[in-house]
Amino acid sequence: MEERGCAVDTPASRPVARKNKSYGRSCVEAPSYFWQTPGQLTVLKLPTTRGAAKSQIITDKVDPEHIALLLRNEWKLSYVTPLHCFRHNQLSSYAKHLSSFIVAEKQQGVAVEVGMDAGFKVTFTTVPGLAESDVDAETVFIQIQSKPVFAAADAVKVVWRGWLTCVNGDPEYLRSLPADFVSLPLFFTNGPESLTTLVKSWFGRTFDANFGSLPLNSSTLNWLAALWTGCHPTCNIRYLKLAWRLQSQPVLDISYTVNPQDAWELWNSIHTPESADDQIGEKEVQAFMNGLETHFFRHFKIHLSAGRLLTVSTSLGSAHHDGKIKIGNSEYITTLLTLLTEYALFKMPT
Amino acid sequence: MDARARSVLSRVLRRVPSRDMGALLEKWSCLPEDQLRAVDYTRPRATLTEHIIGLCEDNSLGLKHVTNLEMIYHIENPDQGSWHACQLTDPQDDAASVELVQFKEQFKAHLLGVVRHISIKIKKHEDDAIWIRIAWGDNFHKPNHLKPTYAVHHLHTSYVFISNLAAKHKIFLSQALEVATKHTSIKEGHLTTKSLTAMRDLLLRRYPQVFPSAQLRILKERNAPPLHPCIAQEHSELEQTRHQMACEAFGPGPAPKLETAVYKLETRYRGHGSQTLAEGEEFFRGVVRFSSSSLLESFHHCVASGVAEGPVTPLLSAITRKGRNYFVITDKGPVPPGQSAHRT
Repeated sequence: MEERGCAVDTPASRPVARKNKSYGRSCVEAPSYFWQTPGQLTVLKLPTTRGAAKSQIITDKVDPEHIALLLRNEWKLSYVTPLHCFRHNQLSSYAKHLSSFIVAEKQQGVAVEVGMDAGFKVTFTTVPGLAESDVDAETVFIQIQSKPVFAAADAVKVVWRGWLTCVNGDPEYLRSLPADFVSLPLFFTNGPESLTTLVKSWFGRTFDANFGSLPLNSSTLNWLAALWTGCHPTCNIRYLKLAWRLQSQPVLDISYTVNPQDAWELWNSIHTPESADDQIGEKEVQAFMNGLETHFFRHFKIHLSAGRLLTVSTSLGSAHHDGKIKIGNSEYITTLLTLLTEYALFKMPT
Repeated sequence: MDARARSVLSRVLRRVPSRDMGALLEKWSCLPEDQLRAVDYTRPRATLTEHIIGLCEDNSLGLKHVTNLEMIYHIENPDQGSWHACQLTDPQDDAASVELVQFKEQFKAHLLGVVRHISIKIKKHEDDAIWIRIAWGDNFHKPNHLKPTYAVHHLHTSYVFISNLAAKHKIFLSQALEVATKHTSIKEGHLTTKSLTAMRDLLLRRYPQVFPSAQLRILKERNAPPLHPCIAQEHSELEQTRHQMACEAFGPGPAPKLETAVYKLETRYRGHGSQTLAEGEEFFRGVVRFSSSSLLESFHHCVASGVAEGPVTPLLSAITRKGRNYFVITDKGPVPPGQSAHRT
């Protein structure tokens, strides 16, 4: 891989050899993954090991203004099937079409001319630099602003935002796609559900794409807890907050906020970085979570495993079981997006 | 009616639902009956409020009447805002003989002596609760009637329930309570709830309780779905034991509706998977927060269904035993592995 110009010598800036991840050929597979793909044969399985979160001064690669757009909001996650005949150089035409589509849908029965300036203004922008590998497509950011017809020019207000991305997507899978298809499997949305549905519907019509919700299961949340805790030495995570819900009558919510230094020491005693090319195994993540749950149990005698882990949050971000995510810090965004891209590709029906 | 009284009045009226307005105004009995009967409570809120304010002005009602109305509203609707408990300790010899009149006199005298501008109202409710409303001022400002402190005390009990007290006024209220009830000191109760009723029921033990007894067996309503007889037989004894433990710790019946409990943990690590941490001397710090629409019932259900193992840990049963919902848990010196002692 080429050298990335970084001011700081982080592990990411050193030449990285491509790692061979083993995909689904072994017989000893974690049983928890099978029930998620009922009856469908996917080539993709979630990896049982992954690299530790690498700090990256992402602002060297990506425009800080673009990064700021990604950081502020709480995003709802969906997966997207590959887009047919999507061209990155036709974004302005897509913007006009989507804008007319939205206006037309909102005023059913009235003919709307493409390019007419009323109601909604849509912008499609590329966010270059987020994509990691050669086969990743560039991220596309979509913004919908409402423009009341008789208002002043500066009365525009952003009412909806969304972005499609692919970071470190599985290269075998991406190369196996037919030439006309572009894969941007991860879709983040923020804004009213009605607009999200319209955008998805337009994508469906124009690019034959299907969307599906991407709830984050406890395994993904566990990974995030471990990965984020591992970042504490380089970037103060300030707290590790985990929230469970027990289905008692009435429902009991338990939140456990661990001191970040203590959480890190626990993680460090379970997983010691052996080399610069740091790999974390699933067993270590499990041991970390078990450690926390057992410590809790010794005090309160309540089995947290009887409940469901709902949210994991640190200053680096927060993730919710419903598939909502908030990114707090741009330094580790690549690792987070890699994990989510993998998950989106995995969840996608083939 | 001056501007202050108007603003307090409109604030109170804004909070009262239209359907309760009539009853509240009747109880207040400051407006003539014929005028009250003429009020149309189905009008839009803004018009209704203006109409009632107009009636009050016509009848020359002042700040005193308005604060009275506010107090009546709070007494009728105690489960609003945020309440916290304090406990009076070290009673003097004649504490048990304090009467209401004496209490009122001493309380007002003390506060009026130390705070320049202050407005105090004391009312005794039919259930023996003394309600105190205090609007605080200082050397330069008149009493602020928009942010009054409320305190509730049952004579001859050691608890006081307080709502909306600023830190700078705490010392004055504490001293006044100590003097008026003839106790030497007052301490933090570590119990905070939204519902005054829940707090009062918990601390004054006004809820069904079960005392540990080897012979006592509580009959449980059999709402469970029918099980295979062999399974039912195996499980019934376990179920009985769990149910018994749950009732002893959290009460068998409707429990006071607490919403949260917070535990600040400063104990040594007691989990698996880390030998180095388990042997270490440092604390594994964290804060655990339980929340539910009725916390004690949730815990009861957890214990009865086995999600929480019995015997119920003293950390959880301390909520009912000690009547508090904020705890700091520390290790009591070196502890053999597998156990965790606690000191609160």
